[in-house]
Amino acid sequence: MSDEHDHAEEGSPLTETELRVRALESLLVEKGLVDPAALDALIDTYETKVGPRNGAHVVARAWVDPAYRARLLEDGSKAIAELGYMGRQGEDMMVLENTPKVHNMVVCTLCSCYPWPVLGLPPVWYKSAPYRSRAVLDPRGVLRELGVEVPEDVEVRVWDSTSEVRYLVLPERPAGTEGWSEAELVGIVTRDSMIGVAKVQAPARGGRR
Amino acid sequence: MNGIHDMGGMHGLGPIEREENEPVFHHAWERRAFALNMAAGFLGEWNIDMSRYAREQMPAAEYLATSYYEHWLWGLERLLVEKGLLTRAELEARVAELRRRAPK
Amino acid sequence: MRRVLWAADVGTVLLKGGPARLPDDVPPRFKPGDLVVARNINPTGHTRLPRYARGRRGVVDRDHGVFVFADASAMGRGKKPQHLYSVRFGARELWGPQAAARDVVYIDLWDDHLDPG
Repeated sequence: MSDEHDHAEEGSPLTETELRVRALESLLVEKGLVDPAALDALIDTYETKVGPRNGAHVVARAWVDPAYRARLLEDGSKAIAELGYMGRQGEDMMVLENTPKVHNMVVCTLCSCYPWPVLGLPPVWYKSAPYRSRAVLDPRGVLRELGVEVPEDVEVRVWDSTSEVRYLVLPERPAGTEGWSEAELVGIVTRDSMIGVAKVQAPARGGRR
Repeated sequence: MNGIHDMGGMHGLGPIEREENEPVFHHAWERRAFALNMAAGFLGEWNIDMSRYAREQMPAAEYLATSYYEHWLWGLERLLVEKGLLTRAELEARVAELRRRAPK
Repeated sequence: MRRVLWAADVGTVLLKGGPARLPDDVPPRFKPGDLVVARNINPTGHTRLPRYARGRRGVVDRDHGVFVFADASAMGRGKKPQHLYSVRFGARELWGPQAAARDVVYIDLWDDHLDPG
């Protein structure tokens, strides 16, 4: 991370924040408190290795395997770990089943708590003041704004992640996916559906991969 | 604490803005800030609850006007100084030095 | 107790995580189905009891088990192992009669956050 690299990348002087981050990193490395290669490994993990595709795998498995689904709802951490997903910010998982009568939605009003092993790092909107403030107060309004209309006879459950328990929504399997393989299903499960702010759509005819 | 971070139920914080296919990190410095937080946390000088409390102490107006990883940076600086791993003076001195040396 | 995170250990460390669940055998104060009221506490220190729930009545939906108590841990007061519950609050209880009749908010709260309802 040389000065030249950043300068070429942005074509402008370093911002105050960039200066502070560099200053901090240089001091911590000099003092032997952080290993620069470890920093690179951490970044690489969350930029390229851990993401919503993990959660999509869990969901797709639950859709095709009723016994797995039952285990998932009984003990989220254990069942998710069966597929190899575990660890930091996902040590205690609870899976919330969406049904025709219940719609689950997850938020962290106090900060940004989110199930990293299955969804990766949270998107900006999830960590933002508008979502954090409104999700518990007006979930139907938030859902409508994000394109989901929830009928009045459906119960909306908002889960505020105030502890180290992490929540993953198991969205409903869309109609039109009968007979699809697990691999095909993985491709249509979105991050937003696993947070609970979207439903999974089956693509139009011909969209099956 | 009854800080600005405790936002559940507040009005007036604006519309939910979404970026389609947003990257995990929006700037190079965000990557470093994230990784520094994780690596420094591993030292064992503080726990995750202390790190959340540190961020909560950012002045409210500043908290609302800055981005997520700026909160993390602020909290990390505070914790490192609080726990005696760095002094404010040496941090500011290094910032000043880098500012002098940075391309204009 | 200072230890440095080396690159080679990053994978293992992340997979291991930092569980907050504790093996301590502490009796719960509540059980699923119990009516509870969130305490009206206003500490200047750290708390995971959000303002919007304080003084509000809910029902214990689930006992998650024994966990580190975040409020204490953040302030250097140790782990204070105690039961953590998922507590269900009606939207109207939290926000008034204009809220949707059917909707609920689940909040994870510890023994020290709750009184019998």
